[in-house]
Amino acid sequence: MVLSFFRKPESGLDHIAHQTISMLGDARHSFDLASTVILSGADPKAIGADIEATDARINKAEQALRSELVVHVSVRGGADIGLVLGYTLLLKKIERIGDQAKNIFDLAADGVSLAGAEDIDEFVARRQEISRMYVEAADLLASQDAIAAKDFLKRSLALNAACGAKVLEYMHSDQPGSWAVPRAILYRYWKRIVANLAGIVTAAIEPLQNIDYLDDGATDITDD
Amino acid sequence: MLKLPPALARFFPVPRPVRAVLVFLLIYVFLIGVSSLENGIKVMGADTQASLFSNVDHPLAGLFIGILGTVLVQSSSASTSVIVGLVASGALGVDDAVPMIMGANIGTTVTNTLVSLGHVRQSNEFKRAFAAATVHDFFNVMAVAILLPVELATGWLSTVAEWISDRLVGSAGSEWESPIKKWVKEPVGWLQDGLNTFVDNDNLLGTLMVAVGLVIVLASLIFITKNMKTLIAERVEQSMNAILGRGGGFVAIIVGLLITVAVQSSSITTSILIPMAAAGVIKLKNAYPVTLGANVGTTITALLAALAASRPEALTVGLVHTVFNVAGIVILYVIPLMRPVPILLAEKLADLAVRNRMIAVGYVVGAFIVVPLIGVAIFR
Repeated sequence: MVLSFFRKPESGLDHIAHQTISMLGDARHSFDLASTVILSGADPKAIGADIEATDARINKAEQALRSELVVHVSVRGGADIGLVLGYTLLLKKIERIGDQAKNIFDLAADGVSLAGAEDIDEFVARRQEISRMYVEAADLLASQDAIAAKDFLKRSLALNAACGAKVLEYMHSDQPGSWAVPRAILYRYWKRIVANLAGIVTAAIEPLQNIDYLDDGATDITDD
Repeated sequence: MLKLPPALARFFPVPRPVRAVLVFLLIYVFLIGVSSLENGIKVMGADTQASLFSNVDHPLAGLFIGILGTVLVQSSSASTSVIVGLVASGALGVDDAVPMIMGANIGTTVTNTLVSLGHVRQSNEFKRAFAAATVHDFFNVMAVAILLPVELATGWLSTVAEWISDRLVGSAGSEWESPIKKWVKEPVGWLQDGLNTFVDNDNLLGTLMVAVGLVIVLASLIFITKNMKTLIAERVEQSMNAILGRGGGFVAIIVGLLITVAVQSSSITTSILIPMAAAGVIKLKNAYPVTLGANVGTTITALLAALAASRPEALTVGLVHTVFNVAGIVILYVIPLMRPVPILLAEKLADLAVRNRMIAVGYVVGAFIVVPLIGVAIFR
């Protein structure tokens, strides 16, 4: 620990940025595992421990990084206050995404399985699309490429709308509740994940007050 | 001082190597300040010297003057360097300087206590912040309460410091050929000659040299601290995060010491802890050892000042500061029975302060201004 004083230091916020991206990687891992269980019919017991451990890792990282943000402000003063507040929001969003993945897993653990269903290809395609968005969001956090971020946000809004439409479709479906309700809930979770990923990307390019908003604060991308 | 707006400062950052060179130059300027102080006192007549320091003959007067002087400049590094300069001039004896050094140790805690008052609006935050600040006060007051009577009765502290000083630079009363002294001798000579062209009275010349020396010491310490804080901010952050991750203990003492040696200010180290404690990210029991390390680390400045002095007694006084703080840690931290006492007292005071904010204000004004003023009035 004493040697940490002499070790070549990484700038405080750089370290936090790396850890945030790593948290997003963990969140994606949780999402992929949970989706695999519900879509492929894998044994929840076999995967549950991994999901729990990943979620615990995300939660612990969030707490540690919050402390590091306080240390950063204590040492550096208020110069980075905008970034620090931005990171606080960002960390909470990633933690929530991790929780959504756990919710998907809980759905499977409660006995829901879409393996072999007639509409499975549609679900698998959506799942892959969302999983790729985690990687894109992490890349955008690192690169802060405003043009790519705007493209991402456009696609995420479209996907969000599509997920919302599916929820409505299942709500008004003539199929039995045991068929429609799990599908509606899964789409609802995915919609929340996509909205939070969009919120994360706004943090990379928008000023603090516009995180979660588009069009200079006019459109709330998580208002659902 | 020209200060760039934050947005512009980001466009024109001072390169790190330039800052590092600047720090070395500032240390040199600081040593010139200490030497100017020493020479200024020497230039004054013997009668003036005697009347200046007759007020600190009583150890408690010395203690309270040490507190007041440090509260005034908000830096024990500055006040102890001045004390070292005075001892180096021969006007102040080691015995008289020891209580002043102890007073400086108490006085320096006012800075983080003032910082903690910034959290006064949020009860929970304030309670944690005030306890983290006053644990430093209680440690220092307890250390003085235990070690000053022992020192007065036995003189052990100055004996130990003198023993070390003897081995390093020679016996008291002799002239020490400090290499640093040689480097600063010339600029101090220029300063003296320059001032001499305007005044021909020794007392006035001495007073001017002391005044210029004080300004140089204070200003150079401020800039050293400012630059070093910028230079090592990442390391400070890294080591503080390491403490948060793995707890306090003796390692935290070393971290507090290293940070303080680097920034030359215990107030910086202890003040960094206050917002962390207020936010609850560092617990009082983990912040406490960091402040103890800061207490030891801050003694480096007086030791550095002693390098510019020509009398071994100056180094002895610098070492008294170090030995006193190390002894305080041994008694109040290493002994398990004593360890929780300053923490409990700080928590108790913080409880009272949260219930009545005026107690906090009264404590700061009373402990750091009123009591020392009354003490000086009584014991001078």
